[in-house]
Amino acid sequence: MVNEMGERVLVVDDDREIVKAIDILLKKEGYEVLKAYDGLQALDILSRESVRLVLIDVMMPKLDGLSAVMRIREKQNIPIIVLSAKSEETDKVLGLSMGADDYVAKPYNPQELAARVKSQLRRYTSLGDIHAGSRAGEIRNGRLLYNTEEKILYADGEPVRLTATETKIIDLFMRNPGRVFPAEEIYRRVWEEDNFVSENTVMVHIRRIREKVELNPKEPEYIKVVWGIGYKMEKQEKNS
Amino acid sequence: MDTKWKNRKKIVSFLIFFLGISLSLGSIAGLFRAKPYGIRIWQLNRLLEDDYQQSESFRAYVVNRLDNFLILATGGEGLWYTWGYDNNVYNGVYYDNGYSYDSVYRDYFEDYEYSYAGENVIEQEDVREDIRKGRNTGEAFSVPDQEKEQVKRLTDEQKREIAMRYHDSIKGDKNLLYTIAYDGEVLYSNADLLSENGTPVAPDGYNFLLYFDGEKVSIFKDGKEIDVYGDGYYYEDSDWYVPGYTNFQAGDDVKKAVVCIAAAKEPVLYAEGAYKEGGARQYGNDLYWMNVSLQEGRKEILKGFMGLGLGCILLLGVFLCRKSYLEATEGIARVQGKIWLECKILLFLGLFYAPILLGLRFGYGLWEEWAFYEYDYGLEEVFWLGDELAASIPPLFWIVLFWGLWLFFNDLRHNKKIWRCSLMAKLYRTFTAKNLRLPISKKMSRRNLIVFILTFAYGILMLGGSILAGIILRGEYALLVVLLLAAAGTVCFLILQYLAGAENMKAARDLETLSRRITQIRNGDYGAAYNGEREDETDNETGGKVKGQNAERFQPGDGLEDVMAQLEDIRHGMAMAVDEQMKSERMKVELIANVSHDIKTPLTSIISYVEILKQEEELPDHIKDYIKILDEKSQRLNNMVQDVFAVSKAASGELPMQMEELDFVKLLSQTMADMEEQIQNSDVTFRTELPNVPVMILADGQRLYRVFQNLFQNAIKHSLKGSRVYVTLRTENSLATASVKNTSLQELDKEKDFAERFTRGDQSRTDGGSGLGLSIAQSFTEACGGRFSWETDADLFVVKITFKIV
Repeated sequence: MVNEMGERVLVVDDDREIVKAIDILLKKEGYEVLKAYDGLQALDILSRESVRLVLIDVMMPKLDGLSAVMRIREKQNIPIIVLSAKSEETDKVLGLSMGADDYVAKPYNPQELAARVKSQLRRYTSLGDIHAGSRAGEIRNGRLLYNTEEKILYADGEPVRLTATETKIIDLFMRNPGRVFPAEEIYRRVWEEDNFVSENTVMVHIRRIREKVELNPKEPEYIKVVWGIGYKMEKQEKNS
Repeated sequence: MDTKWKNRKKIVSFLIFFLGISLSLGSIAGLFRAKPYGIRIWQLNRLLEDDYQQSESFRAYVVNRLDNFLILATGGEGLWYTWGYDNNVYNGVYYDNGYSYDSVYRDYFEDYEYSYAGENVIEQEDVREDIRKGRNTGEAFSVPDQEKEQVKRLTDEQKREIAMRYHDSIKGDKNLLYTIAYDGEVLYSNADLLSENGTPVAPDGYNFLLYFDGEKVSIFKDGKEIDVYGDGYYYEDSDWYVPGYTNFQAGDDVKKAVVCIAAAKEPVLYAEGAYKEGGARQYGNDLYWMNVSLQEGRKEILKGFMGLGLGCILLLGVFLCRKSYLEATEGIARVQGKIWLECKILLFLGLFYAPILLGLRFGYGLWEEWAFYEYDYGLEEVFWLGDELAASIPPLFWIVLFWGLWLFFNDLRHNKKIWRCSLMAKLYRTFTAKNLRLPISKKMSRRNLIVFILTFAYGILMLGGSILAGIILRGEYALLVVLLLAAAGTVCFLILQYLAGAENMKAARDLETLSRRITQIRNGDYGAAYNGEREDETDNETGGKVKGQNAERFQPGDGLEDVMAQLEDIRHGMAMAVDEQMKSERMKVELIANVSHDIKTPLTSIISYVEILKQEEELPDHIKDYIKILDEKSQRLNNMVQDVFAVSKAASGELPMQMEELDFVKLLSQTMADMEEQIQNSDVTFRTELPNVPVMILADGQRLYRVFQNLFQNAIKHSLKGSRVYVTLRTENSLATASVKNTSLQELDKEKDFAERFTRGDQSRTDGGSGLGLSIAQSFTEACGGRFSWETDADLFVVKITFKIV
């Protein structure tokens, strides 16, 4: 599990124990970790060292996280993940609008945090691909990329192994991001049968795809249930 | 200052409009009144003609004279009608002409004359025709046979006598000079108009000269000859009805006659001092009076045109400041809006009745005349009647009629529903029970209405009876006084009845208001209601129409104001208590939010280090067990913090909601599909009974999903092993009710409120739940606008969630 590249990650939080815990967690994943305990310190380190990713808490003394994010953004275009004890949807939107790439609520699931760090780094590594724009037959949505000709889904640039049915569902979703599909329609178009049996059939597949695609299958960001109506692929605002 | 000026401007602009319209209308009506008969209003040159010799009347007069003179010259018989003839005796008359034959023929043609208005000018030849017809057929007029005989048997002596008398009666009127000669000998003359060589000569001051040489007529005016015959043929509308046309020859008997007539340029009044015959008297002086009336009429017409011009200028002025004028009309409409419709109708009808009264005064029915003419003679005569009408109705009437109509349309334009302000509407509003919904006030108002209608009808009957009796017993004054008293008494009774009825209705309304207010407070609306606004927010069914009335009626009514005031005190107290409660609720939410945030930070460390510990591989098994416990409990703590936060936010109404239309059936099946794994792994089975058709409701899908997730988790957790959980959705009317039934593992405490926060089926609090499941379900359901209820029946635990179907 050791990352050969030894990418440098900056962790910023005024709670030293949390920084230490993340340090241990990320080191295990093979990252090199730099630590800072307030916003100014973080900016200082960033001005000296080359860092590939920043994990930053919102509520900190001296310079708070969101202000720090804005100042980092002025100079550097590196992935930033915001950590916050506030879990409201509005806080999340605020964080992302300030220039953060991802938002993780405290208390976080350590596994998920690691997965998010990895995801962000992968997307930045495959930078060339992203900025080339979607080539013919390729549909991009956030960290997902779907090749309509090969019928292969890539998450953070890595192909996801899907069954034939799952691929068909993904095909439908990726081609129509944002559109809500009632279970009946998914059933008709994927199974190509008219007799819709039950919600469960569709739901089982949706759940399986989520487990393969989502960073936290319990709080999906891409494949969502629209309760009382159907299912949809959430269109991501940030496409880079 | 500014508004004062504005107001003044409004008043002035309207006054100008008033003057302009009145002046124009009055002038137009005056013009129609003053214009001579037979000339249309647009024939300006004829209207303003100031030379009487150019008028139709003058021509007819001269032609008539020529006719008579030719009769005199030839010694013909035609003069009989000019003189009148009664029992073989000729009655001398003061004047003769084609227009005033009435005094001459009064006896003969009474019927005919009385069917006409007095001073109508009727063409001479028409009269002549009518008379002849009457004589020939004997149908239209009854002329005694004896008289007919006598007329036929006029002797030459008599003829000469008639001629002499006629000559005597007109010769003094020097406005018209004449010389009548026959066969070279002058027979009658009041001036020598023929010169030595036989050519006509007019004296000074006489500018009109007519000369008949036995065949043709030549007319000189101001020394110039006038073209009399045109193309030589006589037409109906030819100016001169004189012999000499190709189709109107003079005839052989007048070949030797020469007639010369001269008319004065400016006629004067001639009188005669015939003291022997009974004192000074005036001659006919027809030309003088003709000229005077022409000049006067012309003055009237000029006045009319000037008035019309001035009126138009004023109206133009109004057009320039029409904004102020329009504002003024609005102001007038506002005043009008306050007057009862019935009064306005009466006034308006009075205006319409006025012309009928005026028409009657002219001796015969104008309207019948109109109908008759339209039927018999066609449009030309209707024109005539129009002239008649215009001439007979005073201009003031038209002005008043116009303003009546103007007021009516102004009212209609600005006060749209003009019937709103009327006695009937007021009665209706006073006695309607439309806004009353409570049985007690409805009953009161109905009883009141019946009493009112019956007594009112009784009163009206009494009043009508009194008036009728009064009319019948017109002469008997003693009885009349009694009847008058009875009528006055009845009127007083009616007024009293109305007042009492209105009071009763008010009491019913007050009662209704009071009752509604009580209901409102009971329903938990503690807002101040004195301004009436709050009530409308909750009282949507009655709609906006009641709004104003409610505000009005919330003023405590007579007699009930004490009760209302006391009720207000109660409301005030309750409102304060509720406010206090809300405040403390909000504080609680804030506290919880802060606390949960403060808990989250250390919890993050705990969870992180437990994770690190979990990854340690060289630990003894019992330590790994401890770590597992730590892991579970820290996760549970995490869940609890989140739930507490959510439930407190929902309870204080601060939860952001995304309401949308969704299918209740689908939501339930999706939730169960989502939890399929959990359900499969549990000891209970789910039985569902859902409709096949979509049941659309308005809710926040994410929140409602949490509701059923919690309900299903509760059911799985607290159900008896091997038992079934029933999930059903039923629709009834416009409501959809979903219910979740399960058989409890523990015995259910009947008294316990399960939805109360932290209440659990078992008191020990050892399982994984936060104890907030039902509480979250309840607060989320209510936040979505649904109704949450639960009930127990022995070990059966039922939760019902109801939404309105859209």
